[in-house]
Amino acid sequence: MSTFRLQQLKGHISPENKITTMASLESPLTTHVLNVAMGVPASNVTLRLYRQDPSSKTWQLLNTGITNADGRYPGLITKELFTAGVYKLHFETAQYWASLGDTSFYPYVEIVFTINDPGQKYHVPLLLSRFSYSTYRGS
Amino acid sequence: MSTAEVSPLTTQVLNSSDGVPGARMALSLHRLDSELVIWTMLSVGTTDEAGRCPGLIRREAFTPGMYKLRFETASYWESRTQTSFYPYVEVVFSISEPEQSWHLALLVTPFSYSTHRSN
Repeated sequence: MSTFRLQQLKGHISPENKITTMASLESPLTTHVLNVAMGVPASNVTLRLYRQDPSSKTWQLLNTGITNADGRYPGLITKELFTAGVYKLHFETAQYWASLGDTSFYPYVEIVFTINDPGQKYHVPLLLSRFSYSTYRGS
Repeated sequence: MSTAEVSPLTTQVLNSSDGVPGARMALSLHRLDSELVIWTMLSVGTTDEAGRCPGLIRREAFTPGMYKLRFETASYWESRTQTSFYPYVEVVFSISEPEQSWHLALLVTPFSYSTHRSN
């Protein structure tokens, strides 16, 4: 077998030789947006993830996305970027309700949370209705 | 402000982890200045033993717009010697009809919270 052919086979087997995108690596931080008024996942919700700079206290935008049909956005952040700190998830909820032809009490929802141990998994879901919302720390 | 006047905007914090009102929690009310796109602090307060904070805003000052209530939840849990997931909770809401009554409830545990509007 030629060296070239061996290299080709090695590339198929070894993950480090593959080009990986944010979406294909499992994010240590996940979210899930649910429309609890209608009992469905909230899809097509625009969201943004920020981390707070510890000295300047300003918010650094890390990622922008839109929830899928299941109300999720895989690939929020990579393990390498997920350092200890204060993070913020911003959800464009009024935009979501408007797309359904509804008004809402909240123009958007922001959830600010502290990550002390980035080795853990964190799940920050958002349960949404037009006049209420809730969130919890899951894993 | 006289005690006979009731703020058109009221809040109540409940500690659903311990089954008690969220008493002695610091909070502040802000309004978004639509031209300058900055938040102006309107009032600060601390919840009473019932988890309420009367006198948040006078009816005359309660104009339509975007408001924010910020609750110092981490300080509250620290005072109960507990760590929590959220450094604070901010609830941003739109007031279209300030002549109505608006009640914003917040239920907290160290690792969750929920909020709803009633009147």
